[in-house]
Amino acid sequence: MTEHSEKQWIESAAAKPRNIFSEEIVAVIIFIIIALLPIFITGYPIYILPQYMLFGVLAMSLALLWGFVGILSFGQAAFFAVGAYTMGLAMQTNFGVNSGYIGILISPLVGGALAAITGYFLFNAGVKATYFVLVTLALSIMIEQIAVSQSDITGGWNGMYIDRMPLTFGSLGEISLYNDIPVYYAILPVVIAMYAFVRWFATSRFGKILIGIRENEDRMTALGFNISAYKTGAFALSGAIACLAGALYGAHANFVAPSLGGVLFSTEVVVWVAIAGRSSLLAALLGGIIVASLSNYLSTVTPDYWQLVLGIIFILVIVFLKGGVAGAISDLSKHLQSKVKQ
Amino acid sequence: MSSLLRTEGLTKRFAGLIANEAINFELDTSSIRCVIGPNGAGKTTFISMISGHLQPNEGRIYYKDQDITKLNVVKRARIGIARKFQTPTVFDELTVYDNIELAVLGTDCPYNDRNKNINEVLELVHLTNESDKPVKFLSHGQRQWLEIGLLLAVKAELLLLDEPTAGMTVEETESTARLIKNLTQEFQLSMIIIEHDINFIRDLNAPVTVLHLGRVLMEGSFEQVSANEKVREIYLGHGNS
Repeated sequence: MTEHSEKQWIESAAAKPRNIFSEEIVAVIIFIIIALLPIFITGYPIYILPQYMLFGVLAMSLALLWGFVGILSFGQAAFFAVGAYTMGLAMQTNFGVNSGYIGILISPLVGGALAAITGYFLFNAGVKATYFVLVTLALSIMIEQIAVSQSDITGGWNGMYIDRMPLTFGSLGEISLYNDIPVYYAILPVVIAMYAFVRWFATSRFGKILIGIRENEDRMTALGFNISAYKTGAFALSGAIACLAGALYGAHANFVAPSLGGVLFSTEVVVWVAIAGRSSLLAALLGGIIVASLSNYLSTVTPDYWQLVLGIIFILVIVFLKGGVAGAISDLSKHLQSKVKQ
Repeated sequence: MSSLLRTEGLTKRFAGLIANEAINFELDTSSIRCVIGPNGAGKTTFISMISGHLQPNEGRIYYKDQDITKLNVVKRARIGIARKFQTPTVFDELTVYDNIELAVLGTDCPYNDRNKNINEVLELVHLTNESDKPVKFLSHGQRQWLEIGLLLAVKAELLLLDEPTAGMTVEETESTARLIKNLTQEFQLSMIIIEHDINFIRDLNAPVTVLHLGRVLMEGSFEQVSANEKVREIYLGHGNS
Protein backbone atom coordinates (compact mmCIF):
# COMPACT_ATOMS: atom_id res chain seq x y z
CA MET A 1 0.00 0.00 0.00
CA THR A 2 2.77 2.37 0.97
CA GLU A 3 4.62 1.54 -2.20
CA HIS A 4 1.57 2.28 -4.27
CA SER A 5 0.86 5.60 -2.61
CA GLU A 6 4.52 6.47 -2.86
CA LYS A 7 4.39 5.86 -6.59
CA GLN A 8 1.32 8.03 -6.81
CA TRP A 9 3.02 10.73 -4.84
CA ILE A 10 6.11 10.70 -7.02
CA GLU A 11 3.94 10.93 -10.10
CA SER A 12 1.89 13.79 -8.81
CA ALA A 13 5.04 15.59 -7.69
CA ALA A 14 6.55 15.13 -11.12
CA ALA A 15 3.52 16.75 -12.72
CA LYS A 16 4.28 20.45 -13.00
CA PRO A 17 2.60 22.84 -12.46
CA ARG A 18 2.12 21.08 -9.17
CA ASN A 19 -1.60 21.57 -8.87
CA ILE A 20 -3.78 23.49 -11.29
CA PHE A 21 -6.39 23.90 -8.57
CA SER A 22 -4.03 25.72 -6.26
CA GLU A 23 -5.92 27.53 -3.56
CA GLU A 24 -4.91 31.04 -4.61
CA ILE A 25 -6.26 30.66 -8.14
CA VAL A 26 -9.54 29.23 -6.89
CA ALA A 27 -9.74 32.07 -4.37
CA VAL A 28 -9.26 34.74 -7.06
CA ILE A 29 -11.96 33.16 -9.26
CA ILE A 30 -14.42 32.92 -6.39
CA PHE A 31 -13.81 36.49 -5.23
CA ILE A 32 -14.37 37.73 -8.80
CA ILE A 33 -17.66 35.81 -8.94
CA ILE A 34 -18.74 37.25 -5.59
CA ALA A 35 -17.76 40.74 -6.79
CA LEU A 36 -19.86 40.36 -9.95
CA LEU A 37 -22.94 38.87 -8.24
CA PRO A 38 -24.78 42.19 -7.66
CA ILE A 39 -24.92 42.66 -11.46
CA PHE A 40 -27.03 39.53 -11.86
CA ILE A 41 -28.89 39.31 -8.58
CA THR A 42 -30.68 41.98 -6.63
CA GLY A 43 -32.74 42.18 -3.49
CA TYR A 44 -32.46 40.06 -0.39
CA PRO A 45 -29.51 37.84 -1.41
CA ILE A 46 -27.33 40.89 -2.00
CA TYR A 47 -28.48 42.39 1.29
CA ILE A 48 -27.67 39.25 3.29
CA LEU A 49 -24.52 38.04 1.52
CA PRO A 50 -22.09 40.39 3.32
CA GLN A 51 -23.26 38.92 6.63
CA TYR A 52 -22.56 35.43 5.34
CA MET A 53 -19.16 36.53 4.10
CA LEU A 54 -18.43 37.64 7.66
CA PHE A 55 -19.66 34.26 8.90
CA GLY A 56 -17.11 32.89 6.44
CA VAL A 57 -14.36 34.96 8.05
CA LEU A 58 -15.51 33.66 11.43
CA ALA A 59 -15.23 30.11 10.10
CA MET A 60 -11.78 30.96 8.77
CA SER A 61 -10.69 32.15 12.21
CA LEU A 62 -11.61 28.71 13.52
CA ALA A 63 -9.84 26.92 10.65
CA LEU A 64 -6.68 28.85 11.51
CA LEU A 65 -6.87 27.38 14.99
CA TRP A 66 -8.33 23.95 14.31
CA GLY A 67 -6.73 23.18 10.97
CA PHE A 68 -3.29 24.69 11.53
CA VAL A 69 -2.63 24.20 15.24
CA GLY A 70 -5.05 21.35 15.87
CA ILE A 71 -6.90 23.20 18.63
CA LEU A 72 -10.70 23.10 18.49
CA SER A 73 -12.53 26.07 19.94
CA PHE A 74 -16.23 26.17 20.74
CA GLY A 75 -15.90 29.81 21.64
CA GLN A 76 -15.49 31.52 18.27
CA ALA A 77 -19.02 32.96 18.40
CA ALA A 78 -18.15 34.58 21.74
CA PHE A 79 -15.47 36.65 20.00
CA PHE A 80 -17.82 37.42 17.13
CA ALA A 81 -20.43 38.74 19.57
CA VAL A 82 -17.85 40.71 21.55
CA GLY A 83 -16.87 42.34 18.25
CA ALA A 84 -20.46 43.26 17.48
CA TYR A 85 -21.02 44.71 20.96
CA THR A 86 -17.73 46.62 20.73
CA MET A 87 -18.91 48.12 17.46
CA GLY A 88 -22.27 48.98 19.00
CA LEU A 89 -20.68 50.72 21.97
CA ALA A 90 -18.24 52.54 19.68
CA MET A 91 -21.09 53.80 17.51
CA GLN A 92 -22.85 55.18 20.62
CA THR A 93 -19.77 57.15 21.60
CA ASN A 94 -18.63 60.38 20.04
CA PHE A 95 -14.90 60.15 19.41
CA GLY A 96 -14.73 63.25 17.25
CA VAL A 97 -13.86 61.03 14.29
CA ASN A 98 -15.85 58.31 12.52
CA SER A 99 -16.94 56.05 15.40
CA GLY A 100 -17.18 53.12 12.99
CA TYR A 101 -13.46 53.34 12.28
CA ILE A 102 -12.76 53.38 16.01
CA GLY A 103 -14.96 50.27 16.39
CA ILE A 104 -13.08 48.51 13.60
CA LEU A 105 -9.73 49.42 15.18
CA ILE A 106 -10.68 48.51 18.74
CA SER A 107 -12.59 45.27 18.13
CA PRO A 108 -9.62 43.13 17.02
CA LEU A 109 -7.63 44.47 19.98
CA VAL A 110 -10.43 43.53 22.37
CA GLY A 111 -10.84 40.07 20.80
CA GLY A 112 -7.10 39.50 20.64
CA ALA A 113 -6.62 40.53 24.27
CA LEU A 114 -9.51 38.38 25.49
CA ALA A 115 -8.16 35.35 23.62
CA ALA A 116 -4.58 36.06 24.67
CA ILE A 117 -5.49 36.23 28.37
CA THR A 118 -7.64 33.06 28.18
CA GLY A 119 -5.03 31.27 26.10
CA TYR A 120 -2.12 32.35 28.27
CA PHE A 121 -3.53 30.75 31.39
CA LEU A 122 -4.86 27.64 29.66
CA PHE A 123 -1.85 26.82 27.50
CA ASN A 124 0.74 27.65 30.17
CA ALA A 125 -1.10 25.29 32.52
CA GLY A 126 -0.63 22.64 29.82
CA VAL A 127 -4.37 22.17 29.33
CA LYS A 128 -5.10 19.31 26.94
CA ALA A 129 -7.18 19.73 23.79
CA THR A 130 -10.38 18.30 25.25
CA TYR A 131 -10.29 20.60 28.27
CA PHE A 132 -9.56 23.53 26.03
CA VAL A 133 -12.77 22.75 24.13
CA LEU A 134 -14.70 22.76 27.40
CA VAL A 135 -13.22 26.06 28.52
CA THR A 136 -14.00 27.74 25.20
CA LEU A 137 -17.52 26.35 25.50
CA ALA A 138 -17.73 27.99 28.92
CA LEU A 139 -16.40 31.22 27.40
CA SER A 140 -19.33 31.20 24.98
CA ILE A 141 -21.80 30.71 27.82
CA MET A 142 -20.12 33.45 29.87
CA ILE A 143 -20.24 36.00 27.09
CA GLU A 144 -23.90 35.23 26.43
CA GLN A 145 -24.72 35.52 30.15
CA ILE A 146 -22.79 38.77 30.54
CA ALA A 147 -24.62 40.18 27.53
CA VAL A 148 -27.92 39.24 29.18
CA SER A 149 -27.11 40.43 32.69
CA GLN A 150 -25.38 43.73 31.88
CA SER A 151 -28.54 45.09 30.31
CA ASP A 152 -27.62 48.73 31.08
CA ILE A 153 -24.80 48.47 28.61
CA THR A 154 -25.85 45.69 26.26
CA GLY A 155 -29.61 46.02 26.27
CA GLY A 156 -29.94 42.52 27.76
CA TRP A 157 -32.37 40.18 26.03
CA ASN A 158 -33.58 43.02 23.82
CA GLY A 159 -30.20 43.28 22.21
CA MET A 160 -28.44 46.39 21.02
CA TYR A 161 -29.13 48.56 18.02
CA ILE A 162 -26.03 49.38 16.02
CA ASP A 163 -26.13 52.26 13.61
CA ARG A 164 -24.52 51.47 10.30
CA MET A 165 -21.33 53.47 9.94
CA PRO A 166 -20.67 55.61 6.86
CA LEU A 167 -17.38 55.52 4.99
CA THR A 168 -15.73 58.88 5.56
CA PHE A 169 -12.68 60.18 3.78
CA GLY A 170 -11.85 63.25 5.85
CA SER A 171 -12.36 66.40 3.84
CA LEU A 172 -12.99 64.39 0.66
CA GLY A 173 -16.51 63.61 1.78
CA GLU A 174 -18.28 60.44 2.73
CA ILE A 175 -20.24 57.50 1.37
CA SER A 176 -23.37 56.34 3.09
CA LEU A 177 -23.57 52.57 3.53
CA TYR A 178 -27.31 52.40 4.15
CA ASN A 179 -27.95 50.89 0.74
CA ASP A 180 -27.17 47.28 -0.11
CA ILE A 181 -24.72 47.83 -2.94
CA PRO A 182 -22.30 50.26 -1.25
CA VAL A 183 -22.12 48.16 1.91
CA TYR A 184 -21.62 45.03 -0.20
CA TYR A 185 -18.58 46.57 -1.86
CA ALA A 186 -17.35 47.97 1.44
CA ILE A 187 -17.34 44.61 3.19
CA LEU A 188 -16.11 42.42 0.31
CA PRO A 189 -12.62 44.02 0.12
CA VAL A 190 -12.23 43.66 3.88
CA VAL A 191 -13.14 39.97 3.63
CA ILE A 192 -10.64 39.50 0.79
CA ALA A 193 -7.97 41.36 2.74
CA MET A 194 -8.57 39.22 5.82
CA TYR A 195 -8.37 36.04 3.76
CA ALA A 196 -5.13 37.23 2.14
CA PHE A 197 -3.70 38.16 5.51
CA VAL A 198 -4.51 34.83 7.17
CA ARG A 199 -3.27 32.98 4.10
CA TRP A 200 0.00 34.91 4.25
CA PHE A 201 0.24 34.30 7.98
CA ALA A 202 -0.22 30.56 7.47
CA THR A 203 2.85 30.42 5.22
CA SER A 204 4.94 32.69 7.46
CA ARG A 205 7.50 31.47 10.00
CA PHE A 206 4.87 31.59 12.73
CA GLY A 207 2.41 29.62 10.61
CA LYS A 208 4.98 26.95 9.81
CA ILE A 209 5.78 26.57 13.49
CA LEU A 210 2.07 26.14 14.20
CA ILE A 211 1.92 23.30 11.68
CA GLY A 212 4.93 21.75 13.41
CA ILE A 213 3.07 21.94 16.71
CA ARG A 214 0.03 20.27 15.17
CA GLU A 215 2.19 17.53 13.69
CA ASN A 216 4.37 16.77 16.70
CA GLU A 217 4.23 18.77 19.89
CA ASP A 218 6.90 16.71 21.68
CA ARG A 219 9.36 17.23 18.86
CA MET A 220 8.75 20.97 18.76
CA THR A 221 9.28 21.21 22.52
CA ALA A 222 12.49 19.20 22.30
CA LEU A 223 13.68 21.54 19.52
CA GLY A 224 13.30 24.45 21.92
CA PHE A 225 9.99 25.98 20.81
CA ASN A 226 7.85 27.46 23.55
CA ILE A 227 4.64 25.71 22.49
CA SER A 228 2.28 27.53 24.83
CA ALA A 229 3.46 30.94 23.59
CA TYR A 230 2.80 29.98 19.97
CA LYS A 231 -0.60 28.50 20.80
CA THR A 232 -1.51 31.63 22.73
CA GLY A 233 -0.43 33.74 19.76
CA ALA A 234 -2.53 31.68 17.36
CA PHE A 235 -5.57 31.85 19.64
CA ALA A 236 -5.14 35.62 20.02
CA LEU A 237 -4.97 36.12 16.26
CA SER A 238 -7.98 33.87 15.77
CA GLY A 239 -9.90 35.83 18.42
CA ALA A 240 -8.89 39.15 16.85
CA ILE A 241 -10.13 38.07 13.41
CA ALA A 242 -13.40 36.69 14.79
CA CYS A 243 -13.93 39.90 16.73
CA LEU A 244 -13.25 42.15 13.73
CA ALA A 245 -15.65 40.08 11.62
CA GLY A 246 -18.21 40.43 14.42
CA ALA A 247 -17.79 44.22 14.47
CA LEU A 248 -18.51 44.43 10.75
CA TYR A 249 -21.38 42.00 11.14
CA GLY A 250 -22.90 44.16 13.86
CA ALA A 251 -22.57 47.23 11.71
CA HIS A 252 -24.21 45.46 8.79
CA ALA A 253 -27.00 43.72 10.72
CA ASN A 254 -27.66 46.92 12.75
CA PHE A 255 -28.31 44.67 15.70
CA VAL A 256 -26.68 42.29 18.13
CA ALA A 257 -28.38 40.01 20.67
CA PRO A 258 -26.82 37.79 23.37
CA SER A 259 -27.50 34.61 21.38
CA LEU A 260 -24.91 35.70 18.79
CA GLY A 261 -22.23 34.76 21.33
CA GLY A 262 -23.94 31.61 22.52
CA VAL A 263 -23.06 27.96 22.43
CA LEU A 264 -25.56 27.21 19.67
CA PHE A 265 -23.96 29.61 17.22
CA SER A 266 -20.46 28.52 18.27
CA THR A 267 -21.43 24.95 17.46
CA GLU A 268 -22.72 26.05 14.07
CA VAL A 269 -19.30 27.55 13.29
CA VAL A 270 -17.67 24.22 14.12
CA VAL A 271 -20.16 22.46 11.83
CA TRP A 272 -19.39 24.82 8.93
CA VAL A 273 -15.69 24.24 9.24
CA ALA A 274 -16.00 20.47 9.70
CA ILE A 275 -18.17 20.16 6.60
CA ALA A 276 -16.02 22.47 4.48
CA GLY A 277 -12.65 21.07 5.60
CA ARG A 278 -10.54 22.54 8.34
CA SER A 279 -7.21 22.25 6.58
CA SER A 280 -8.09 24.88 3.98
CA LEU A 281 -8.71 28.52 4.87
CA LEU A 282 -10.60 29.12 1.63
CA ALA A 283 -12.79 26.08 2.24
CA ALA A 284 -13.66 27.35 5.70
CA LEU A 285 -14.47 30.79 4.31
CA LEU A 286 -16.73 29.30 1.64
CA GLY A 287 -18.14 26.80 4.13
CA GLY A 288 -19.29 29.64 6.32
CA ILE A 289 -20.91 31.42 3.37
CA ILE A 290 -22.51 28.36 1.77
CA VAL A 291 -23.67 26.45 4.82
CA ALA A 292 -25.06 29.62 6.39
CA SER A 293 -26.92 30.39 3.15
CA LEU A 294 -28.14 26.83 2.98
CA SER A 295 -29.36 26.94 6.58
CA ASN A 296 -31.21 30.15 5.82
CA TYR A 297 -32.75 28.67 2.66
CA LEU A 298 -33.73 25.41 4.33
CA SER A 299 -35.23 27.24 7.29
CA THR A 300 -37.70 28.93 4.94
CA VAL A 301 -38.40 25.84 2.83
CA THR A 302 -38.77 23.38 5.67
CA PRO A 303 -38.78 25.26 8.95
CA ASP A 304 -39.34 22.06 10.96
CA TYR A 305 -36.65 19.85 9.52
CA TRP A 306 -33.80 22.06 8.30
CA GLN A 307 -31.65 21.48 11.35
CA LEU A 308 -32.17 17.76 10.94
CA VAL A 309 -31.05 17.98 7.31
CA LEU A 310 -27.97 19.95 8.32
CA GLY A 311 -27.25 17.46 11.07
CA ILE A 312 -27.42 14.55 8.65
CA ILE A 313 -25.07 16.31 6.21
CA PHE A 314 -22.70 16.94 9.11
CA ILE A 315 -22.71 13.28 10.17
CA LEU A 316 -22.23 12.06 6.60
CA VAL A 317 -19.25 14.35 6.08
CA ILE A 318 -17.66 13.39 9.40
CA VAL A 319 -18.09 9.68 8.70
CA PHE A 320 -17.17 9.58 5.02
CA LEU A 321 -15.02 12.65 4.37
CA LYS A 322 -12.50 13.10 7.14
CA GLY A 323 -10.93 16.16 5.55
CA GLY A 324 -14.33 17.66 4.78
CA VAL A 325 -15.44 18.62 1.29
CA ALA A 326 -12.14 20.42 0.61
CA GLY A 327 -10.16 17.35 1.57
CA ALA A 328 -12.28 15.22 -0.76
CA ILE A 329 -11.80 17.64 -3.66
CA SER A 330 -8.05 17.77 -3.08
CA ASP A 331 -7.84 13.96 -2.97
CA LEU A 332 -9.95 13.71 -6.11
CA SER A 333 -7.80 16.18 -8.05
CA LYS A 334 -4.64 14.32 -6.99
CA HIS A 335 -6.25 11.06 -8.05
CA LEU A 336 -7.27 12.51 -11.42
CA GLN A 337 -3.80 13.91 -12.01
CA SER A 338 -2.17 10.56 -11.38
CA LYS A 339 -4.73 8.97 -13.73
CA VAL A 340 -3.91 11.52 -16.43
CA LYS A 341 -0.22 10.76 -16.01
CA GLN A 342 -0.83 7.08 -16.64
CA MET B 1 35.95 22.18 35.58
CA SER B 2 36.23 22.39 31.82
CA SER B 3 33.80 19.55 31.13
CA LEU B 4 30.75 20.23 28.95
CA LEU B 5 28.35 18.21 31.06
CA ARG B 6 28.65 17.02 34.62
CA THR B 7 26.16 15.28 36.87
CA GLU B 8 26.53 14.92 40.63
CA GLY B 9 24.68 12.22 42.53
CA LEU B 10 21.83 12.13 40.04
CA THR B 11 19.02 10.02 41.47
CA LYS B 12 15.56 9.22 40.11
CA ARG B 13 12.97 7.09 41.85
CA PHE B 14 9.62 5.99 40.45
CA ALA B 15 7.27 5.09 43.32
CA GLY B 16 9.94 3.25 45.26
CA LEU B 17 11.70 1.82 42.24
CA ILE B 18 15.17 3.25 41.91
CA ALA B 19 15.75 4.01 38.22
CA ASN B 20 18.98 5.97 38.65
CA GLU B 21 21.04 6.15 41.80
CA ALA B 22 23.79 8.67 42.55
CA ILE B 23 25.12 8.90 39.02
CA ASN B 24 28.28 10.95 38.68
CA PHE B 25 29.05 11.54 35.04
CA GLU B 26 31.34 13.80 33.10
CA LEU B 27 31.59 14.53 29.39
CA ASP B 28 34.12 16.72 27.60
CA THR B 29 33.48 18.99 24.66
CA SER B 30 33.69 17.36 21.25
CA SER B 31 33.58 13.83 22.61
CA ILE B 32 31.37 10.79 22.43
CA ARG B 33 30.18 8.64 25.30
CA CYS B 34 28.31 5.42 24.83
CA VAL B 35 25.95 4.37 27.58
CA ILE B 36 25.19 0.68 27.65
CA GLY B 37 23.44 -1.67 30.00
CA PRO B 38 20.77 -4.34 29.99
CA ASN B 39 17.08 -3.45 29.77
CA GLY B 40 15.95 -1.59 32.85
CA ALA B 41 19.43 -0.37 33.68
CA GLY B 42 18.18 3.25 33.64
CA LYS B 43 19.76 4.46 30.41
CA THR B 44 16.73 6.29 29.05
CA THR B 45 15.92 7.69 32.50
CA PHE B 46 19.44 9.11 32.65
CA ILE B 47 19.14 10.77 29.24
CA SER B 48 15.68 12.08 30.12
CA MET B 49 17.06 13.86 33.17
CA ILE B 50 19.74 15.50 31.06
CA SER B 51 17.25 16.58 28.37
CA GLY B 52 14.87 17.89 31.04
CA HIS B 53 12.05 15.47 30.31
CA LEU B 54 12.42 14.10 33.85
CA GLN B 55 13.32 15.96 37.02
CA PRO B 56 15.80 14.17 39.30
CA ASN B 57 14.82 13.48 42.91
CA GLU B 58 18.35 14.27 44.02
CA GLY B 59 21.57 15.51 42.48
CA ARG B 60 22.57 18.28 40.15
CA ILE B 61 23.33 18.71 36.46
CA TYR B 62 25.89 21.20 35.21
CA TYR B 63 26.20 22.23 31.57
CA LYS B 64 29.15 24.48 30.71
CA ASP B 65 29.57 24.92 34.49
CA GLN B 66 26.03 26.26 34.83
CA ASP B 67 23.56 24.50 37.08
CA ILE B 68 20.73 23.51 34.73
CA THR B 69 18.95 21.09 37.08
CA LYS B 70 15.82 23.24 37.23
CA LEU B 71 15.62 24.23 33.56
CA ASN B 72 12.78 22.77 31.50
CA VAL B 73 13.07 20.98 28.15
CA VAL B 74 12.60 24.13 26.07
CA LYS B 75 15.28 26.09 27.94
CA ARG B 76 17.74 23.21 27.75
CA ALA B 77 17.12 22.87 24.02
CA ARG B 78 17.77 26.60 23.68
CA ILE B 79 21.19 26.32 25.33
CA GLY B 80 22.17 23.50 23.01
CA ILE B 81 21.02 20.19 24.50
CA ALA B 82 18.95 18.27 21.99
CA ARG B 83 17.57 14.78 22.11
CA LYS B 84 16.81 12.05 19.63
CA PHE B 85 14.08 9.84 21.03
CA GLN B 86 14.10 6.06 21.13
CA THR B 87 11.33 5.90 18.53
CA PRO B 88 12.10 8.43 15.79
CA THR B 89 10.12 11.55 16.60
CA VAL B 90 9.81 13.57 13.39
CA PHE B 91 7.04 15.31 11.47
CA ASP B 92 5.62 12.39 9.50
CA GLU B 93 3.17 14.31 7.32
CA LEU B 94 5.67 16.96 6.23
CA THR B 95 8.45 16.66 3.68
CA VAL B 96 12.06 16.06 4.66
CA TYR B 97 12.89 19.64 3.70
CA ASP B 98 10.02 21.05 5.79
CA ASN B 99 11.16 18.96 8.75
CA ILE B 100 14.62 20.47 8.69
CA GLU B 101 13.17 23.91 8.00
CA LEU B 102 11.14 23.73 11.21
CA ALA B 103 14.30 23.04 13.17
CA VAL B 104 16.10 25.92 11.42
CA LEU B 105 13.18 28.21 12.30
CA GLY B 106 14.08 27.56 15.93
CA THR B 107 17.46 29.25 15.46
CA ASP B 108 18.21 32.90 14.81
CA CYS B 109 19.22 32.05 11.25
CA PRO B 110 18.35 35.00 8.96
CA TYR B 111 15.74 34.39 6.26
CA ASN B 112 18.22 34.49 3.38
CA ASP B 113 20.47 31.81 4.86
CA ARG B 114 17.71 29.34 5.70
CA ASN B 115 17.75 27.47 2.42
CA LYS B 116 21.54 27.16 2.52
CA ASN B 117 21.49 25.89 6.11
CA ILE B 118 18.74 23.38 5.36
CA ASN B 119 20.61 22.00 2.37
CA GLU B 120 23.83 21.72 4.35
CA VAL B 121 22.09 19.62 6.98
CA LEU B 122 20.38 17.46 4.33
CA GLU B 123 23.79 16.85 2.78
CA LEU B 124 25.28 15.82 6.12
CA VAL B 125 22.59 13.25 6.87
CA HIS B 126 22.48 11.92 3.29
CA LEU B 127 18.90 13.02 2.61
CA THR B 128 19.45 15.55 -0.19
CA ASN B 129 17.77 13.29 -2.73
CA GLU B 130 14.77 12.73 -0.47
CA SER B 131 14.28 16.42 0.23
CA ASP B 132 10.77 16.68 -1.31
CA LYS B 133 9.51 13.36 0.03
CA PRO B 134 6.97 13.22 2.82
CA VAL B 135 8.70 11.66 5.82
CA LYS B 136 6.19 8.83 6.08
CA PHE B 137 7.74 7.34 2.93
CA LEU B 138 11.26 7.18 4.39
CA SER B 139 12.90 3.98 5.60
CA HIS B 140 13.40 3.51 9.30
CA GLY B 141 17.10 4.26 9.00
CA GLN B 142 16.44 7.46 7.04
CA ARG B 143 14.01 8.60 9.71
CA GLN B 144 16.76 8.14 12.30
CA TRP B 145 19.09 10.28 10.20
CA LEU B 146 16.41 12.87 9.72
CA GLU B 147 15.98 13.16 13.46
CA ILE B 148 19.74 13.57 13.87
CA GLY B 149 19.46 16.20 11.11
CA LEU B 150 16.88 18.08 13.19
CA LEU B 151 19.34 18.21 16.09
CA LEU B 152 22.06 19.52 13.77
CA ALA B 153 19.70 22.10 12.29
CA VAL B 154 18.91 23.61 15.71
CA LYS B 155 22.67 23.92 16.22
CA ALA B 156 22.69 21.65 19.27
CA GLU B 157 26.08 21.18 20.93
CA LEU B 158 25.22 18.21 23.10
CA LEU B 159 23.29 15.50 21.27
CA LEU B 160 21.52 12.83 23.29
CA LEU B 161 20.96 9.89 20.98
CA ASP B 162 18.66 7.15 22.25
CA GLU B 163 19.34 4.07 20.10
CA PRO B 164 20.25 5.91 16.88
CA THR B 165 20.84 2.75 14.84
CA ALA B 166 17.70 0.83 15.79
CA GLY B 167 16.13 -0.59 12.65
CA MET B 168 19.15 0.17 10.46
CA THR B 169 20.86 -2.18 8.04
CA VAL B 170 24.53 -3.06 8.60
CA GLU B 171 25.61 -0.53 5.95
CA GLU B 172 23.43 2.18 7.42
CA THR B 173 24.81 1.48 10.89
CA GLU B 174 28.39 1.79 9.64
CA SER B 175 27.52 4.96 7.83
CA THR B 176 25.92 6.35 10.99
CA ALA B 177 29.09 5.65 12.97
CA ARG B 178 31.10 7.57 10.36
CA LEU B 179 28.60 10.43 10.47
CA ILE B 180 28.76 10.67 14.25
CA LYS B 181 32.56 10.60 14.36
CA ASN B 182 32.66 13.23 11.64
CA LEU B 183 30.25 15.48 13.54
CA THR B 184 32.29 15.36 16.74
CA GLN B 185 35.56 15.98 14.95
CA GLU B 186 34.50 18.57 12.42
CA PHE B 187 31.79 20.46 14.30
CA GLN B 188 33.03 19.93 17.90
CA LEU B 189 29.71 18.37 18.87
CA SER B 190 29.39 16.10 21.87
CA MET B 191 27.18 13.06 22.12
CA ILE B 192 25.79 10.71 24.67
CA ILE B 193 24.67 7.59 22.84
CA ILE B 194 22.55 4.78 24.19
CA GLU B 195 23.10 1.67 22.10
CA HIS B 196 22.70 -2.07 22.07
CA ASP B 197 24.58 -2.70 18.84
CA ILE B 198 28.03 -3.86 19.92
CA ASN B 199 29.52 -3.47 16.45
CA PHE B 200 28.36 0.12 16.31
CA ILE B 201 29.93 0.87 19.70
CA ARG B 202 33.16 -0.77 18.56
CA ASP B 203 33.13 1.34 15.38
CA LEU B 204 32.71 4.52 17.38
CA ASN B 205 35.72 3.57 19.50
CA ALA B 206 34.54 5.92 22.26
CA PRO B 207 34.57 5.63 26.05
CA VAL B 208 31.73 3.55 27.44
CA THR B 209 29.71 3.95 30.61
CA VAL B 210 27.99 0.78 31.79
CA LEU B 211 24.79 1.17 33.77
CA HIS B 212 23.39 -1.68 35.80
CA LEU B 213 20.33 -1.48 38.06
CA GLY B 214 20.45 2.29 37.93
CA ARG B 215 24.09 2.63 38.95
CA VAL B 216 27.34 3.17 37.08
CA LEU B 217 28.95 -0.25 37.00
CA MET B 218 32.12 0.92 35.28
CA GLU B 219 33.56 3.34 32.76
CA GLY B 220 36.33 2.71 30.28
CA SER B 221 37.29 2.09 26.69
CA PHE B 222 35.38 -0.45 24.64
CA GLU B 223 38.21 -2.96 25.14
CA GLN B 224 38.30 -2.46 28.90
CA VAL B 225 34.55 -2.74 29.21
CA SER B 226 34.19 -5.74 26.97
CA ALA B 227 37.04 -7.49 28.79
CA ASN B 228 35.49 -6.89 32.21
CA GLU B 229 34.12 -10.08 33.72
CA LYS B 230 31.27 -8.38 35.56
CA VAL B 231 30.11 -6.56 32.42
CA ARG B 232 30.26 -9.72 30.37
CA GLU B 233 28.23 -11.45 33.02
CA ILE B 234 25.40 -8.91 33.21
CA TYR B 235 25.34 -7.56 29.73
CA LEU B 236 27.25 -9.36 27.05
CA GLY B 237 26.51 -12.83 28.29
CA HIS B 238 29.10 -15.47 29.20
CA GLY B 239 31.90 -16.05 26.74
CA ASN B 240 30.02 -14.15 24.06
CA SER B 241 31.40 -11.43 21.74
